[in-house]
Amino acid sequence: MAKWGMVIDLDKCTGCQACTTACSMENNRLPGENWQDVLFYHEGTYPNVKLMWFPRPCMHCENPSCVSVCPTKATYKDPHGGFVLMDWNRCIGCKYCQVACPYGVRFYVDEKAPVQPDIRTVFPSADGRVWDPPYRGPQDDPGRGIGIQPHGVVSKCTFCYHRVSKAPAGIADLDEDIPALKEYVPACVRTCAPKARFFGDLDNPESTVNKLIADKSGVRLKDETGNKPQVYYLSGGAAASVPSLRSMTPSDPA
Amino acid sequence: MNTVKTKQTGILSVALIGFLVSAGLVLDNLAQYGHAALNTNNLGISWGFPIVVYDYFLLTSTGLAMLASLAIVFGGETFRPVIKRAVWLALAGLAGGVAVLFLELGHPLRALWAIPFSFAFSSPLYWKVMCVSFYVLSLLILMARMLKSHWTIAELRINGIVTLVLALGVTSIAGVVYGSQSFRPFWASGDIPIAFIFESLLGGLAFIFFFTYLAYAFNPAALPTGVKRLFTGPLPRLLALAIFVHLLFVLARMASGLYGNLEGLQVWHHVATSPLFYAEILLGLVLPLVLLMRPGTRNNPWVQMLASFLVMNALLVSRYEYILGGQLVPMFKGAWAPALLSYFPSPTEWLMLLIAIFLSNTFNALGELFLGLSSEGDPSARVEPEPLGAQWGEGGERLAS
Ligand code: SF4
Ligand code: SF4
Ligand code: SF4
Repeated sequence: MAKWGMVIDLDKCTGCQACTTACSMENNRLPGENWQDVLFYHEGTYPNVKLMWFPRPCMHCENPSCVSVCPTKATYKDPHGGFVLMDWNRCIGCKYCQVACPYGVRFYVDEKAPVQPDIRTVFPSADGRVWDPPYRGPQDDPGRGIGIQPHGVVSKCTFCYHRVSKAPAGIADLDEDIPALKEYVPACVRTCAPKARFFGDLDNPESTVNKLIADKSGVRLKDETGNKPQVYYLSGGAAASVPSLRSMTPSDPA
Repeated sequence: MNTVKTKQTGILSVALIGFLVSAGLVLDNLAQYGHAALNTNNLGISWGFPIVVYDYFLLTSTGLAMLASLAIVFGGETFRPVIKRAVWLALAGLAGGVAVLFLELGHPLRALWAIPFSFAFSSPLYWKVMCVSFYVLSLLILMARMLKSHWTIAELRINGIVTLVLALGVTSIAGVVYGSQSFRPFWASGDIPIAFIFESLLGGLAFIFFFTYLAYAFNPAALPTGVKRLFTGPLPRLLALAIFVHLLFVLARMASGLYGNLEGLQVWHHVATSPLFYAEILLGLVLPLVLLMRPGTRNNPWVQMLASFLVMNALLVSRYEYILGGQLVPMFKGAWAPALLSYFPSPTEWLMLLIAIFLSNTFNALGELFLGLSSEGDPSARVEPEPLGAQWGEGGERLAS
């Protein structure tokens, strides 16, 4: 079975937020509650200051702290593909997973609206969900945290499970440039204009994602946490690079 | 009806009305705005004041249970006058804390089945909930056995040991919930469970002083001889010792936090310069410590009331700083949060504190009125305590017993 992973080439990312918008449309996100976000920040002080940005989905960690802390097993690691998913029928909204995620990619649905007007009151839901958007994606799978979420639960990026899980078995890469595969590609990857995002099987040595990680010294965010993200970042690509882990561990021998 | 009973009825009425009013207001706010009535957010403040209140009442409860069970297992007859009250207060405090937790959770009723049947062995919260369930059961059994007019410390011993183990379990797992968050260095440390245990004990001691005086309508002359003996004997010394140990934990964490370079510890510069922190340390801990260490003031009932009240407040502040402090530093640059996150409890969150206070006091007053918390069991079953040190000779040698 595949272990899906994403590679984001920071040298190509323009910070255009097309991925954020595509994810929001695909997954009916509430405005401002972006499963995928590009975080802008600055380095240095005036006059030597630089505007920078950083695209960030859920890392679908190999060793996810959100999963290990969840007291109800509402958040779980799918053994078929390595997706970290949510079961909205089990979640009690304790937010322990949010506290335990080092990447800040989880959202409690009932917080104050970060963007006004509060779209939840503009398009109220009649069926117990958080809102009823005028355009609503067809997919609805509360057991995997897909669709319009109910009240009182946490939500997160699904690695577009509803697309990726339908891909033909044995595929090494889900590349939007291959017409037969494009429907299975995560929305944020498919929309990325400069092709900074790649999606493929990390367990397949022939996959483009694996080659990119090897060739351009892919690194994982905050690797010191031990969460082992399945999202890798490329930057530079020189052979001399910053080691990601302090020491080798049995599950990560290299 | 005697004066004390009349005053307890007054406390019950005030607490019940206070509970109904605060609960009504909170439920109305939650019905209107949902959890948006709280000031938590998706930028990084996931656990706000309601969790502070819940943890405060939970840890106070386990502190009282530890006090009662330590008294049963090791303390003997000297501590008999406070055992029953400590057990009931532990249950009353827990009720207040759990009520607030239920208002904070997204699906409190689902939690009742989803947690026990999840068998989520990797989650500290799973173990905490399981442990709390058995802890409540153990406290109820203990209380039930003390309701009869004849009870001896010896017959409660096994119950006492079980309660002690469960109270220590709940408290240390509560510590692990925070202490295991290794990427939040303000929280994470292997000794947090130990710090929680001492903090709980301190809370338990402060609460037993305050609520015993309250039971006698703050009239020191009304205290029975056994209580007076305890309050002028080992208990104020224990309270002083517990304050000292807690102070050491806080100051030691502050020192390593201020000097540490680890990302996330920067929050100590914010915490340690806030007026709230100074109030907690100087007014809430140092002042009571000094008052309780001075032989001239230690046994003064009014000093003990003041000291316990100050400590109770200091512990709430301490819990607030700890839980919020671990979340104020954004995870990394660019989380739409360029500096320290800010948080202040909303009116609904303050009202939740009142819910916990009033509900606990309602239960406590009911206990005082109907469960005879001041009764010490059958006096004929009592063994007069040996004076402290009686079993030791002049030169410190152990005398044959
Ligand atoms: S990034 Fe956070 S939410 Fe996503 S799998 Fe890792 S720990 Fe869980
Ligand atoms: S909020 Fe839901 S998914 Fe997160 S830890 Fe609690 S029960 Fe699990
Ligand atoms: S993989 Fe899908 S759900 Fe995740 S960030 Fe991309 S578009 Fe959003």
